Amino acid sequence: MEKIVAALNALGVEQYVITEKHTDSLEAFYVKKNLDLTRRADTTVRTVRVFRPFEKDGERMLGNSEATIRPGMSEEEIRTALAGAWYAAQFVANPWYPLPKGVQAPPKADTGGFGGKSLAENMKAVAQALFAEDTAQDVFLNSAEIFMRRTENRIVSSENADVSWEQYEVWGEYVCQCKAPQDVETYHQFCCREPSPEALRAEVRHALAMTKARAQAVTVPKTGTYALVLDREQVGTLLSYYVDRSNSGMIYQKYSSFQLGDGVQGEDIAGDRLTMGLKATEPYTDFGAPMVDRPLVENGVLKTIHGGARFGHYLGVEPTGNYRAVTVPVGDTSMDELTKEPCLHAVSFSDFQMDALSGHFGGEIRLAFLHENGTVTPVTGGSVNGSILDGQGHMTFSKERFHSRDYDGPLAVRVEGVNVAGEG
Amino acid sequence: MKVRQSGFIAEKRPILLKLRDALCAEFSYASVLAEDTVGRYYRVSRHSVSVEEGDNARGFVVKALDDGRYAEYSFNELEEASIPGIVDAVRALLAADVRPDGLGANVYEPPAEEPTLFAGATEYEQDPASLDDGAVIDRLTALRDKGLSMDEAVLDFVAQVTWNKYTKLFLSRDKDMTQSVLYTTGAVAAAAMRDQQVKQSYLPCSGLGGMELLAKMEDNAAPCVRTALDLLHSEPMIPGEYECICDPETTGMIVHEAFGHGVEMDMFVKDRAQAPQYLDKYVASPLVTMHDGASSARQTATYFFDDEGTAAHDTVVIDKGVLKRGISDLQSALILGTDPTGNGRRESFARKAYTRMTNTWFEPGQDKLEDMIGSIKYGMYLECPSSGMEDPKNWGIQCMVNIAREIKDGKLTGRIFSPVVLTGYVPDLLKSISAMSDGTELSGTGYCGKGHKEWVKVSDGGPYIKARIRLG
Repeated sequence: MEKIVAALNALGVEQYVITEKHTDSLEAFYVKKNLDLTRRADTTVRTVRVFRPFEKDGERMLGNSEATIRPGMSEEEIRTALAGAWYAAQFVANPWYPLPKGVQAPPKADTGGFGGKSLAENMKAVAQALFAEDTAQDVFLNSAEIFMRRTENRIVSSENADVSWEQYEVWGEYVCQCKAPQDVETYHQFCCREPSPEALRAEVRHALAMTKARAQAVTVPKTGTYALVLDREQVGTLLSYYVDRSNSGMIYQKYSSFQLGDGVQGEDIAGDRLTMGLKATEPYTDFGAPMVDRPLVENGVLKTIHGGARFGHYLGVEPTGNYRAVTVPVGDTSMDELTKEPCLHAVSFSDFQMDALSGHFGGEIRLAFLHENGTVTPVTGGSVNGSILDGQGHMTFSKERFHSRDYDGPLAVRVEGVNVAGEG
Repeated sequence: MKVRQSGFIAEKRPILLKLRDALCAEFSYASVLAEDTVGRYYRVSRHSVSVEEGDNARGFVVKALDDGRYAEYSFNELEEASIPGIVDAVRALLAADVRPDGLGANVYEPPAEEPTLFAGATEYEQDPASLDDGAVIDRLTALRDKGLSMDEAVLDFVAQVTWNKYTKLFLSRDKDMTQSVLYTTGAVAAAAMRDQQVKQSYLPCSGLGGMELLAKMEDNAAPCVRTALDLLHSEPMIPGEYECICDPETTGMIVHEAFGHGVEMDMFVKDRAQAPQYLDKYVASPLVTMHDGASSARQTATYFFDDEGTAAHDTVVIDKGVLKRGISDLQSALILGTDPTGNGRRESFARKAYTRMTNTWFEPGQDKLEDMIGSIKYGMYLECPSSGMEDPKNWGIQCMVNIAREIKDGKLTGRIFSPVVLTGYVPDLLKSISAMSDGTELSGTGYCGKGHKEWVKVSDGGPYIKARIRLG
């Protein structure tokens, strides 16, 4: 770090942010009931973003660019890398904006529960939980990958920041398979920052049950308009529209017309009014300023425009840092009421997507439950192609809760009037 | 001009040879892969300019086999004095107890290797280092200004270009291989807005080589803007099954997402693909011949050897409609008792190698595009694919396409539907192909994930195809 600062001073760079990340990751790859490969990755990466003020056509500009400083680089190599970024920054003609001030604080240890044990001990405990529910013959875990990671992070800036923190995270994916009456699989991911074996076991139980249901699903839903029920991560994906549209970059560049105080769900709201919060998942912003939870939408009204320093300054709003996690209060409607017929409860897609620019959401259905005529039928195939602009006034949230790393809120949402392409 | 080898790799080579020898003395098989990847990314839009690093990775991964078990260790600090510590770290990994009670471990034999000494490099016309950052930004700015000036309804116009260059050194007891590769990708994108909806169009271009690509991008501004403006008048797709013409990019997405993932042979190992049951059977129309391979085309996924030291191949996956074989990494081939095909690829030195596609494409046919469109009474012309997702186990298709243009009585009517989701059963779609145009185009601007991670550079494409597809 000292070599980098000395090189920056020698180049005359007055504004910069240095980010250092040391990652130690233990990884296990399972095929069927066998460990196939064990991996460890031990890497250190330092990046330096330099900011260069200049004038262009009489207007004050602030350009920036970044250089990666790798372990083992000589002082000359460091100087050359930084000089390259400093040179490039003079062509990045973005109107000037002030850099956010950072803070200086003692190092923060991760107190989430993984600390104090080796990566191997934590890994084994997670693997025990993951495979604990894999006890049946007809439906089982086909394969799994587990990544147990500890990172040490530090941010130092010319704007007073000097902060460091430790973070543990385990994440991974697993595939469930059911061979009869038809051979099918489902794909799942998990991620957590503190030991939660019971929650992981519950997720695996649910995943195995859904896989068994998919093996029963042979019917393709009929083409038509449905009341669509989405659950779990898909609710977070659907609501990411509001996070993206309230980003300062989207608003300044006119990709979004959201303004503070606007009703974001349109004028006719027959369903639940939306309340969402932005959840800080890192202790500090990219500039080393404390990152805090913030209200995003309250009763359908936009409370925060969020984002980085540049577009925040252009819009005259506080730079908040970048968020990826949201919290949403649960609704008043039980899952039983939410899935009252007729409706299509889609529990698994190939890849459920929300396009924040157009408001379209959709994906190919891998498993859904069709509730109609007093029966519940598992269906598969076909696709959802909806528009949140059409459906946002008619959303109903469940009173049951779902929690993942980036979404904590209602287990399910019902959206009326969604197009489904299927048979017929 | 040939791409020059990384000075960093050349400097570390003596230490890497000693590391290889130390590992081979300790374990029944060992390999070392060193990577030095650098790049530059330039982007200009109405409100933003960026000059950033492109792909960026410099480090090492060692792989060792002992008592039939594999372990890997990735790191990015290497001095001669650190060799004993690296050997210890690998030994500790092989001995680590991370398995839940009751689970076993796969057991491998060492791979058979032919002695190989290789050094190769791809070629380029214009060295990225010869172009000043300011000159690149000026050219992109001119392109942006051209796009923005075309119509008042244009909300934004983006021009971007990225070059990436890597050197990789692979060492094992019998192999000593070095390669240096340079590729460049670019794109223009136009956005237009009506009511609350922003409609975007995107025209990519890519190639194995250097900044000569910039000149190829300059004609793309006008068609890109025209498409974005057309999209403002698009209608929601009317769900149904249609006779469709797919442009080469859409063909490429079908090749890659719908079929390519299903022949990745690590999926065979896991019993996650249907393809093994269809070997030597018809899975597509007899018009279809499909290739994958780093040496099968000159595009962004071209290389000389993969990340496990296997030479690049040109694999014929489907031959005149019949599934002939899959593509494979080394570890999967060891389990399956097959030959690896040069498809063992890592996102970077810090990640695991999996079976991955490279350049994946359909051979051309003999039809003319205008005849293909003319043969359709009512159908859709599909273009601008945006994303897709594999389903090798069930051979389901999910491809998102930005534009479906209506065809009526053999002519494009001007009516546009957007966005569009392609779904269906892969063999049904491939068997429905009834015409293929007489040229093949590949595009390599995208990255491919394994599930939702492990991004590697790929290219895909083919001719215009005529097929029957369910759209929603």
